[in-house]
Amino acid sequence: MNFVMTFIEKVLMPPMTKISTQRHIMAVRDGIVASMPFVIVGSVFLIAIALPFDAWKEFIKPYAQTIILPYRISLGLISLYVAFGIGYNLAKSYKIDPLAGGIMAFGAFMMTQLPVNVGAEISKIVGDNKLGVVGENLTAFGDKMGLAFPLERLGAHDMFVAIIVSIIAVEVLRFCRERNLTIKMPDGVPESIARSFALLVPVGIVIPIIWFFRHIVNIDFGVIIMLLFKPLVVAGSTYIGALVPVFLIDALWFCGIHGDSVVGSVARPLWTMMIEQNGAAVLKGLPAPHLFPEQCLQWFVWIGGSGCTLGLVVMMMFSKSTYLRDIGKVSIVPGIFNINEPVTFGLPIMYNPIMMLPFVFGPLVIGTTTWVCMKFGLVQVPYILVAWTLPAPIGALLSTGFDWRALVLSMFNLCLMTAIYYPFFKAYERKLVADEKAAATSTEHYQL
Amino acid sequence: MKILMVCAGGMSSAMVIRAIEQEGVKQGLEMKVKAVGIYEFEDEIKNGWDVGLVAPQVRHCLANFQKAGNEANVPVIAMSPQCYTPLGGARALAEAKAAAAK
Repeated sequence: MNFVMTFIEKVLMPPMTKISTQRHIMAVRDGIVASMPFVIVGSVFLIAIALPFDAWKEFIKPYAQTIILPYRISLGLISLYVAFGIGYNLAKSYKIDPLAGGIMAFGAFMMTQLPVNVGAEISKIVGDNKLGVVGENLTAFGDKMGLAFPLERLGAHDMFVAIIVSIIAVEVLRFCRERNLTIKMPDGVPESIARSFALLVPVGIVIPIIWFFRHIVNIDFGVIIMLLFKPLVVAGSTYIGALVPVFLIDALWFCGIHGDSVVGSVARPLWTMMIEQNGAAVLKGLPAPHLFPEQCLQWFVWIGGSGCTLGLVVMMMFSKSTYLRDIGKVSIVPGIFNINEPVTFGLPIMYNPIMMLPFVFGPLVIGTTTWVCMKFGLVQVPYILVAWTLPAPIGALLSTGFDWRALVLSMFNLCLMTAIYYPFFKAYERKLVADEKAAATSTEHYQL
Repeated sequence: MKILMVCAGGMSSAMVIRAIEQEGVKQGLEMKVKAVGIYEFEDEIKNGWDVGLVAPQVRHCLANFQKAGNEANVPVIAMSPQCYTPLGGARALAEAKAAAAK
């Protein structure tokens, strides 16, 4: 027991917390978070077309493509939001004008994208074929389209490109600022004009370089980076890959550190990509490719908060210990919305040897049941992003596009986890009741 | 007493800050309290607070918060885990007062 606790505290915690507060990781995290309001609102429209009523589905069939447009311009264009967000936040962390950082990152990312000349491509295909009126219509359409960016590349597909390029762009900006490689304007010039001239040098460095490698040397960064990350993404859907975040998050919470925040700092880009690709696949009628996005954790494992404590809180509310009853009563309402700091710090679960086994290792069991259900298609893989503070059963239903089996899995996992907690909870309760009987009531006494 | 608390999303700290506020009112103090998430702390700390309290689960970011606090001349401390519950108002307020007095 002690060995595990020391291991978590001395070996796991320091590097993980160090990584999560690293400047670039934080900027990436903040950049993605900045796009969330759009993603959440856009996802509501995806939920709308998934409503499980046949009459509704018939009714919206002709309008479905229009209805999901807000989804397409949010999660479907996430690389754009993320590029600007990362540029903004990374520049801000260096105390450089954040707007300059944001714009540089955005421009740099767009430079990696190849617009398709639709008219020219259609002309190539039509060529000398005698397609008659069809050929004329096609050519007219192509001319009208002009140049177009494929939407798919601007979504999660090129998000890692956006991350890398944004960081490079801001680092170049910082380099120029530090070496004073800017064009200084005389004092009388208005601020905004002076600022845009100051950006000329860094932009003049970044844009041509990206242009050269992407369009002259023809290195498609998006494809290469996807290849590099593919093993990681594939690993994330394996059994071990799915359980690693479960273990890490709870191990960190056991030490009183916000596990979801720390692990999320590193995993967020991957998770965002997973849910976007799941959504895109399901919209096309294909199976979702990624079995264990963050949504699986949110709706099937962290029911009531990290460690799946909702059932534990209910047991506390009816406990023989006055202290546990009090904590239980103030924890139930936040617990329904998956906030459980009162329990983590109040029971406390944190550094409590009795609660360590169920809290850190118990969720691996329900993680397993979840993964099995996903792997064998027993439950729809979540493909819609919904706000994490929803009560887990509701979130499970919405996130899977109203698969009622998700509700069943969520409830089943909660009962299973509560059963796992039961013996440990009882042991701890016995200890507290004995302490309460033996001593006078004083808050100092309740510390472990 | 003006207390600014920070946690990951501003939600769990909202509960604890209410408890601190109630405790302060009980002791006859005039209280102004606010709970923010980690993204908002750096900007909010500049708005005339007496002390910044960092929730224990984000104490790995304490150095960053203290840097922002130093720039705004506001003491920023990590709360002890035991007082980070809705029942821990009295102890949390005591820790806040001690930090503000320095």
